[in-house]
Amino acid sequence: MTWSRNAAVYAGLVVLAVVTLVPFGLGLLTSFTSARQFNTESPLSVPSPPTLANYLGLGDAGFGRAIVVTALVTAVILLGQLTFSVFAAYAFARMEFPGRDALFWVYVATLMVPATVTVVPLYLMFAEAGLRNTFWALVLPFMFGSPYAIFLLREYFRTIPTDLIRAARMDGASTLDVIVHVVLPASRPILVTLALITAVSQWNNFMWPLVITSGRTWQVLTVATAGLQSRYDAQWTLVMAATTVAIVPLIVLFVAFGRHIVGSIVVTGLK
Amino acid sequence: MGRRPIRRSTSNAVAGYALLAPSLFGVVTFLVLPMFVVLWLSLHSWDLLGPIRYVGLGNWRSVLTDETFGTSMVATLAFILLVVPLQTVLGLLAASLLAVNLPASGFFRTLYVLPWICSPLAIAVLWKWILAPTDGAVSTVLGRPVEWLTDPTLALPVVSAVTVWTNVGYVTLFFLAGILAIPRDIQNAARTDGATTWQRFRYVTLPMLRPTLFFVLVTGIVSAAQVFDTVYALTGGGPQGRTDVIAHRIYAEAFGAAAVGRAAVMAVVLFALLLGVTLVQHVYFRRRISYDLV
Repeated sequence: MTWSRNAAVYAGLVVLAVVTLVPFGLGLLTSFTSARQFNTESPLSVPSPPTLANYLGLGDAGFGRAIVVTALVTAVILLGQLTFSVFAAYAFARMEFPGRDALFWVYVATLMVPATVTVVPLYLMFAEAGLRNTFWALVLPFMFGSPYAIFLLREYFRTIPTDLIRAARMDGASTLDVIVHVVLPASRPILVTLALITAVSQWNNFMWPLVITSGRTWQVLTVATAGLQSRYDAQWTLVMAATTVAIVPLIVLFVAFGRHIVGSIVVTGLK
Repeated sequence: MGRRPIRRSTSNAVAGYALLAPSLFGVVTFLVLPMFVVLWLSLHSWDLLGPIRYVGLGNWRSVLTDETFGTSMVATLAFILLVVPLQTVLGLLAASLLAVNLPASGFFRTLYVLPWICSPLAIAVLWKWILAPTDGAVSTVLGRPVEWLTDPTLALPVVSAVTVWTNVGYVTLFFLAGILAIPRDIQNAARTDGATTWQRFRYVTLPMLRPTLFFVLVTGIVSAAQVFDTVYALTGGGPQGRTDVIAHRIYAEAFGAAAVGRAAVMAVVLFALLLGVTLVQHVYFRRRISYDLV
């Protein structure tokens, strides 16, 4: 009875796993297939011999630069967003000043503002500021902290014992000292969570970079992949190399931090 | 009393505002201000390059009587109705399997989230090849070409299926957390009373999962209503506007047709609809005594 039930459960789990993995596997195989083999044999034949030609071909399409730009944009946003979110969350959680609660409600209200709605007005603002197609256009809207991160961090900071902070204060620590030496070490889990979610969502960001950049100079990986796909519609081996490059860093992150990422999703509940 | 406490609270206030300054600048400039700008833009006409002209309610009249916009709303609604129930049912099923907690459950759980972590744009491009009519994977296996993405009846269900494939693992996580949070005693009591597996699921697990279910449905609707990357790469809104969902229409209107004012109108309409959904969620959670989402 239990044995047959367990077998049925495993069968279900394995079917779902196969359905999840097969598309990735097929894409990966195709990215190592030569264009000639792909066109002359069955598109699903195993690459023989496997070739890196498709990956080398990506260089000509500006992918090297796109990877660097994407990594820089992600790093700057990650650093800015975490730093400024921590600052704001500490002020909201642990300091008292006039207007604090009203301001916090403004932050919470902006959680309801969808990115799809702000793209058009942001475009106008950046165009008027002369910032179209610049590095700043890619990072500015995201680097000053996110209301959601601030909300979560504030909840977390409120659980840090007041005595710890008071003791540091007695020793003459400044607010910044308290944040760096008391609050941050006590908040490792939530910081890892937010860092992972921010990195993943910024690496994958597409609509805003698509709209605000043009040409190769500030092209990010997602935009480069979309552009390659529309330009070389039939060259699937090249296109699959591009999707692999866009996906692999996340898979590496996933293998390294898989459990944390899974936990992060349940905690933050958002992308 | 005297001066010290006052001075301390003043310096405390200054420090508080200083810590808030960067994020306040960000929130006001990139979240609050755009909401006013989009309303303002909806009353103006702009072609991305030339001057901006006031046109009153002209854009509103033109969008609300526009057949393309109607098609787009229908496509969005159909997309939501296809994606949200399916990903919810499959997520609940996968979570039920994982909750049996056999060895390697953790491995499977992590694996299922993989598509959701990856760039939706890259995932869509990957599926564009898999579904390509002549040299795609599916056509090769079937031995005949099928126009998955250009057939007007197939396109939207296929785009929805790719989205469900991406989201199931994510939905599963919330249901799994919800199921594991159900007190063991309740399940055991039902078992002692002779309830079958199905009865326990139907009369214990499912009712206890109501908050999770509600959360998954609302966040599912809000994100499905904004789908863009997947549609952009898979169909570009075609064929015949069948997959021209609202986010894609806003993009095409502003940056394809250079009718920015009309795009602003659509953005305002989308915001109003999403606000409605979110408010329903808030009212629901207000009524509940505990605030735990999962």
